[in-house]
Order: sequence, then structure tokens, then C-alpha cells
Amino acid sequence: MSKLNRKFSRRNLLVGALQAMSALALSGCQRVFDGLSSNETVQSILESAEYGNRRVQRLLTRHTKLAQEFAEKDISPIFRPNGNPPPATTEYVADAAQQFKNWRLEVSGLVKQPARFSLAELKAMPSRTQITRHDCVEGWSVIGKWKGVRLQEIMDRVQPAPQAKYVVFRCMDTDSDGAHYYESIDLVDAAHPQTILAYELNDRPVPVENGAPLRLRVETQLGYKHAKYIQKIEFVSSYENIAAGKGGYWEDQGYEWYAGI
Amino acid sequence: MEKLIYRHNRITRATHWVNALALMILFMSGLMIFNAHPHLYWGSTSEPDKAFFSIGAVNQDGDLRGYVQLYGQQIDTTGFLGVQEGTFGPSARAFPSWLTVPGYYSLASSRRWHFFFGWLFTLNGLFYVLYNLAVGHLRKFFCTPADLAKIPAMIAYYLHMRKQSPQEGEYNPLQKLAYTSIFVIVTPLVLLSGMAMSPQLNVAFNWLPATFGGRQSARTVHFILAFGFLVFTFGHVFMVLTQGFFNNMRSMISGWYYEKHTARNDEQRRQVKNEFKPEELGPTAQKHETEAAAETMSKLKDDATVEFLPAKTAPAPPADSSAVEKKEKKDVETKP
Repeated sequence: MSKLNRKFSRRNLLVGALQAMSALALSGCQRVFDGLSSNETVQSILESAEYGNRRVQRLLTRHTKLAQEFAEKDISPIFRPNGNPPPATTEYVADAAQQFKNWRLEVSGLVKQPARFSLAELKAMPSRTQITRHDCVEGWSVIGKWKGVRLQEIMDRVQPAPQAKYVVFRCMDTDSDGAHYYESIDLVDAAHPQTILAYELNDRPVPVENGAPLRLRVETQLGYKHAKYIQKIEFVSSYENIAAGKGGYWEDQGYEWYAGI
Repeated sequence: MEKLIYRHNRITRATHWVNALALMILFMSGLMIFNAHPHLYWGSTSEPDKAFFSIGAVNQDGDLRGYVQLYGQQIDTTGFLGVQEGTFGPSARAFPSWLTVPGYYSLASSRRWHFFFGWLFTLNGLFYVLYNLAVGHLRKFFCTPADLAKIPAMIAYYLHMRKQSPQEGEYNPLQKLAYTSIFVIVTPLVLLSGMAMSPQLNVAFNWLPATFGGRQSARTVHFILAFGFLVFTFGHVFMVLTQGFFNNMRSMISGWYYEKHTARNDEQRRQVKNEFKPEELGPTAQKHETEAAAETMSKLKDDATVEFLPAKTAPAPPADSSAVEKKEKKDVETKP
């Protein structure tokens, strides 16, 4: 009798209940959060944080301020490439062998003067060199020295129309399903002094794995915004009609369009 | 003899539970974010061979083994960290899915959770601090040098090496130290180290990552502080469980708490009453006080005296709780 009583003592009941609760919590929690994560209403509520991030962070940043620049000694031994493999088309491979002699950058969309630039023409424009830190959304960072032409310089030449709100970068690389990489930034980031179309990394032409012949550097944003293998730049009023409509390859898969954090 | 007292007002209770939920989700979604690159470094960059801490998986003769590595020392953690047993056999995963939000691998989704609850945590905490500053509650658990001097005595008391608790006022010195370090050190640093990882804020405030010794150092600090919150939470929950679980839970849900009627508690209550001066609330508060607000305020300030409140606002205590509380032998009840 006394044994039985001990079994059903308040303490045992409490401990048992707590154990059951934590076991339930662990497996149940996961199911609940997984369910919520794929629920569209919950997702759209969670996504409201992106608006706050963008508004508050932009408010805190004066337009003339620059991202931290580093010294030559800080440059990483290897600039880690990430994302899609380099374009494998015969056209790209052949052109890469000729230092992209045939490659042209097409600038079009809502602009007064659409234009095409060869690599030599871009290199002839005023350039900017910066040693900056590249921050991947995954959490890692590398430092590299970039040389390129400011996007503002290109904008001065093509003159975006007043209704142009975003700059879309069409890229040559594709994922395993054949979907082309693309990205978009707004005119605030496009006009930033450190936003450049880079053709040199660490004093050498941008290597194929890092986005040859031309890649974007937008130092206010995480790595996935820095479009590689750029072929075409388009000025648009909205990116809703491009691919899945979220403004970029990774954005279409749930990542934030505003990648300032 | 016991007395039912109104211990936590509505604002304290609401912010407490919002905070609890936010911290849990921040911690768990943070672990999922960490899973995207389960290595830690000091400095600005993450050179692959310079990680001082890693969680990984390695294939040993067809057997997937998980490990944790700290400064070259490696321990096998298969089944918990690095490699997780799943429906389809073992798979490489730094933190197991039952510890992350979401449970499946999604960096995009975990970031959404993390930033939303980051904002909630920040705004909720800010509201709590501003409110408690306004009503003068914050100084009750602010750790002063005098409190620090009493910490050895408090530890001795907890270890039953000392009969008399050195506690004066509502919170003991160890509680004050724990709360103050969370408010003044851990929370500001966790926010700043999180912000130091942002490229946009790196533009706005160049000094921010540098303050931590570089962006990767900031990431490391952020990770360590997350576990600081975990340690605090474990301590907090331990205190709740050992210092009267039902009573503490009830006080944080309904506000009502059974307190031992002792000479010491009476003395404290008198002090609290004497401290209360309505003019401290400022002229606006006095002018616009509605009846309801006045009642809330009196509950707030006069956390001791149930007899001043209308009888109907005091909920009938659950039948079993008084029995539980009578078993409590401790003279001093400790708030978790």
C-alpha cells in the first residue's frame, strides 16, 4: 500500500507530467513551427520585419557613408566562390578563352539612351577600387579588392526615366533546372558610391568562378545580391513580372529582397 | 498564515510571456541560421582553416559520424550534434531539427522568424524598461556595489552555510546580479553583435563590427550570448520549479501570489507602502487617471495589500494550491 502511494505521490506525478510535457514539447514544437513556417499567413506576418529592417536601416544610413574599407594585408587568400557553377555554354566558354572580346553589356528598359558596352569601353571609364568585406547570407565573410565602374557612371550615360525604380541584373549562370540567375536593387543602392560593376578582383580580371567578366558589388547588401556573370542591366518600375516576381533568384525562394541584414 | 498578494501587474505578465516566446524562437531560429555555416571565427573574415569552433560530420568507413571541434579538440557527438538520426537514416546536420525553427533546413525561413521576433523582443523589452523606469520599479532590482558585496553571504545562505538571508527589499543580491547583467550587459550586447553582422549597418556605423573585433567576432559573440540567455533561462526555470511552481506560475499568469505572513514580509510591505507617492507618477498621470487606471496603479504600487482591493477581483485560489504552499518551509520566498 505504501509502495503504491509513493508511486502516485505528487512529486512523481509532477515529474512525470513534466517529462511528458517536455517530450511532447520537443516533438510537438517542431511540428507546430514547421506547420507555421509553411503557412502563408504566418509567412506574410513574419515578412513584415523586412519592411522594418529596410526603413530603419536606411534611416540610419547617410547616403554618402561608405562601407568599411580594408588594407591590402587584410585581403583573404581565397575569395570563396558560391552559388551556381559558371555558365557552361559554348558561347561563354569560347568567349572566356578570348578575355570576353565578344561580350557586351546591354543596358536597357526605362532609360532615355539604351546602350551596349564592351569590356574595353567599361575599363576606359573612370574606375573605383575598394577593398571590402563580402558577407554571405550563410554567415561567412571574405575580403577582396575590387576594381570597376560605378553604376552611377552607367546611369549618367543611359539616364533612367523618372518611373524607373529598380535596376535588374540579368545573368548568364543558371541553376540545375536551367533557371537564370537575376537580381534587383533599388536606385538608392544603385547610386551608392561603392556600388560598382567590377571587372577586377585582387588586381586580376575577375576569375570565372567569381563572375567573369562583370559582377556587381553592392556593399550595403549580403552576397546573394551581388549578381555575377552579368549580361544585361534593365531599369524597371516593378519586378513583379520577372520570374516568380520577388526580385531575384534567391528572393523567389523565400529570401528577403532587402538583404541589408 | 498566508496572504494572497497581487505581485505582477498586467504589463509585467504580458511582457514576460512575449519575452519568453520571443527568446525561445530567437534561440531556435538562430540555431537553424548557424546550421548554414556551423563554424565560428575571430576577426573580420572566415578563412576556412581558422575556425576555432566547428560542428561537422565526417564519413568513417561508410559510417557518418558527427563531431564538435573546439581549438583542435574533437569529440564525437553522433546522434545529437553534427549527425542526426532520421527516418531515412543518419544525416549531416549541426544542430538537430528538434532544436531549430523551422525543424527542416531552411535558412530563408529561419531568418524570417529571427528578424520578426528580433523586433518583437526589442520593442517588448524597450517597452518594459521604459515603463518600469517610469514607475520606479527598475531600481528595486538594479544591482549596486553594496549588493555585490552581499553576494558571498547570499551564496552561503543558498548552500545552507548561513541561516540568515542577506536580502533586503524584494530581490536578493544574486537575483539583482542576474537581472542587471541581463539588462545591462547581455541584452545590449546581443543586439549590437547582431546588428554588427548587417552589411547596411556596416555602412551606417563602420565602428560597429570593429568594436567586436570584426564581423566574424561579432557573430561569435552573438552565438555565445545566445547561450548566455539559455543559462539564465535554465536558472530562472529551476528557481520557479524549486520555489513553488504553482504559486509562481499563478503569479505570472493571474498576478496573484501566496505569500507567507511573517514579520519580515510585513516590514517589507510597510516599506513599499511608505515609498509609494502618487506624485512620483507625474502630473499627467494624476490628471488623467481614470478609475480603472487608478485601480491598476494601486495594484502596481501597493503589491502587498489585498485588503484594499475589491474582494471580487481576487480570484478564488485553486483548492490544491494552498496545500502545496503550506508545505513550503522557507521563510524567504524567492522570485525567479
